[in-house]
Amino acid sequence: MAKEMIAMLLAGGQGSRLYALTEKLAKPAVPFGGKYRIIDFPLSNCVNSGIDTVGILTQYQPLVLNEYIGNGQPWDLDRLYGGVHVLPPYQKASGSDWYKGTANAIYQNISFIERYDPEYVIILSGDQICKQDYSDFLKFHKEKNAEFSVAVMEVPWEEASRFGLMVADGDDRITEFQEKPKNPKSNLASMGIYIFNWDILKKYLEEDEADPNSENDFGNNIIPNLLRDNRRMYAYHFDGYWKDVGTISSLWEANMEILDPEHSGINLFDEDWKIYSRNSGMTGHKISAGALVENSMITDGCRVKGEVKHSILFAGVRVEEGAVVEDAVVMGGTVIKSGAVVKHCIVAENVTVGENAVVGAMPTEEEKGVATIGEGVTIGDNAKVGPKAMVRKNVEGGGEEW
Amino acid sequence: MVNSNTSALGIVFPNSYDVLVPDLVNVRLMASIPFASRYRLIDFILSSMAHCDIDNIAVMVNNNYHSLMDHLGSGREWDLVRKNGGLHIFPPFVEKGVKPYTGRVGAVASILGFLRNQKEKYVVLTDTNIVVNFDFNALIEAHIESGADVTMAYNEQEIPAGMMKIEESGLTYYYTLGIEDGRVSQIYVNSQKTGIQNLSMNMFVLEREKLIEMINTASVRGQIYFERDVLMPQLNKLNIRAYKYDGYVARICDMKSYFDENMKLLDDHNLDALFSGKQIYTKIRDDNPTRYIEGAKVQNVMVADGCVIEGEVEDSILFRGVKVAKGAKVKNCILMQDTVIEAGADVEYLVMDKNVTVSAGKSMRGTDTFPVYIGKHQTV
Repeated sequence: MAKEMIAMLLAGGQGSRLYALTEKLAKPAVPFGGKYRIIDFPLSNCVNSGIDTVGILTQYQPLVLNEYIGNGQPWDLDRLYGGVHVLPPYQKASGSDWYKGTANAIYQNISFIERYDPEYVIILSGDQICKQDYSDFLKFHKEKNAEFSVAVMEVPWEEASRFGLMVADGDDRITEFQEKPKNPKSNLASMGIYIFNWDILKKYLEEDEADPNSENDFGNNIIPNLLRDNRRMYAYHFDGYWKDVGTISSLWEANMEILDPEHSGINLFDEDWKIYSRNSGMTGHKISAGALVENSMITDGCRVKGEVKHSILFAGVRVEEGAVVEDAVVMGGTVIKSGAVVKHCIVAENVTVGENAVVGAMPTEEEKGVATIGEGVTIGDNAKVGPKAMVRKNVEGGGEEW
Repeated sequence: MVNSNTSALGIVFPNSYDVLVPDLVNVRLMASIPFASRYRLIDFILSSMAHCDIDNIAVMVNNNYHSLMDHLGSGREWDLVRKNGGLHIFPPFVEKGVKPYTGRVGAVASILGFLRNQKEKYVVLTDTNIVVNFDFNALIEAHIESGADVTMAYNEQEIPAGMMKIEESGLTYYYTLGIEDGRVSQIYVNSQKTGIQNLSMNMFVLEREKLIEMINTASVRGQIYFERDVLMPQLNKLNIRAYKYDGYVARICDMKSYFDENMKLLDDHNLDALFSGKQIYTKIRDDNPTRYIEGAKVQNVMVADGCVIEGEVEDSILFRGVKVAKGAKVKNCILMQDTVIEAGADVEYLVMDKNVTVSAGKSMRGTDTFPVYIGKHQTV
């Protein structure tokens, strides 16, 4: 039985620009928004769009991601035929290879795709926060009788040169592709989400593999080759919320934006488009008498005795008496001891911030930055962590890290 | 794998003591009463069993059990989807001229065929109106070590006021134990004694073959209640041992105790005592984290995921998906799933069932001794 469309999710990126947060886990497994991980968004989008077969291409630090995905049950992707499959690089009779690039990752899994004999394949990326109905995208692809479609966002012209840009005619047909150009001819940025007719994709993947000079990358090789051959390529306009969370500051920003769904456009309180995740299973959170909670998101298992302003607390975070948390993203299991001040920063999972320690600071004219504390780190009592610091190792009591 | 020397299967009675909380069981049964911001009462028993490798469980639903079926599903959330064993829900078997059973004897008699075909050596029986993070293995070990015929769990506490009232209604029974050297020498029915008593938790362990034999005999004789009709007359003949439980126990035996036992969890000591052991599983709803909007003021509350709080909430327990609008005031309330308190409303000492709406500007009050209950789907 053939599937109409299956999804291939690129989740192998190291996410090196997230530094301390991705030392031990792949970027798609980075926690986000109180109880999610980044990968929950594309996976939930798939299920909500009626796609029940997803291949997840992993390579870098896959342990956490593998365990998190498990049998796919939290996303309703535990299926008899299809469902979610984690696809690491594997050894073949003729030798083995790491995934050399995004296109090569798909190339190495051609046999996986062919098991489902799909008409279309959607390529997704595991480092974006976005709620998107892929079935609308597929409808567009079919209506245009396209061989390749790419989802694009309009970006401000002055920022356009930071993106890969699609130049399209009045009928949305793509005529040119510009990768981070100095002089942009378009402001339609590629979101890195593609729909291919499978026969076309397979043909170009094989051609690309045979080219020894290729970087085996969709943006640098496959798309230019399609253009060269004058294939039917279309740009699908998406105008919802979309954010690439590949850097510390964009990850922090995206977290803050879910605190303001009325303006930012990312609303997690949408019964019709739920984002699924593996739940912590903790009890309801508790706010004690004397605590202060303002404009924040708080998850099961938290205990708040201090002040929490404009922040996101993940499952099981403890904020002790007299501690202050402001403009902060505090991930699961972290303890902020009494008197500590945690501001404008990202604190990863299972961190201990000691008594009266200071982490980060509100941005000023001279100095702005999002302090970041890596997983499992202990910040000693009275220690100080500056607003630009990237802490990977324990900081001793009274110590400083800038 | 069933280890035939130590394994136990579970039999759960989800309708026990329904009569004590008529309001709360109007649309459900005891086992599916919401508790502690995101659980149902049965979650505590099922999770405790699952953690003790009791993964073959019969749930003897008798009445009003749709909500429980919905909650349990296939049993996946409690890790009870198993090829061998797993969760079995047994509805009563009724045909013309045959009434559904009323007591434990009839319930177990209706599954004797099932019981005969199982492999576990022991059976654990329990009600669901008792909230515990219980180590069934310790109970079973004590049973095996003592060589008893039956071991029953109890705790030392005063008889709750809600149970004392049973004497007047005569609707159901509770039991206190006289104990000599760990052996149950007396079982008292609906005792009115004040002060600390050995209060039965209605949890039993015995060998499966023994249970089948006892129930078979009792059923033929037309007996109804396991404790009253089977155990009490055989106190001399059977070696019935008492197992004292020292952990945290909450009993739901009327609206007041339901209110109080929820509120007690606002004290961290109680919350930790109940939850610091093994995790309690429940049905997953995939709610987003709770959002506190500018203007929210919260003090001493326990809140589940999925709530949106814009008003003032104090000394209260909020279940999943509750909304408290701007200017609304909530004090000393238990708000079950998806309750909406509209702008400017003012409520105190209320227990609101699922999907209740309190309209804008309305004010409503119970008292600390009499929390007022508002039924499911009502709009005030």
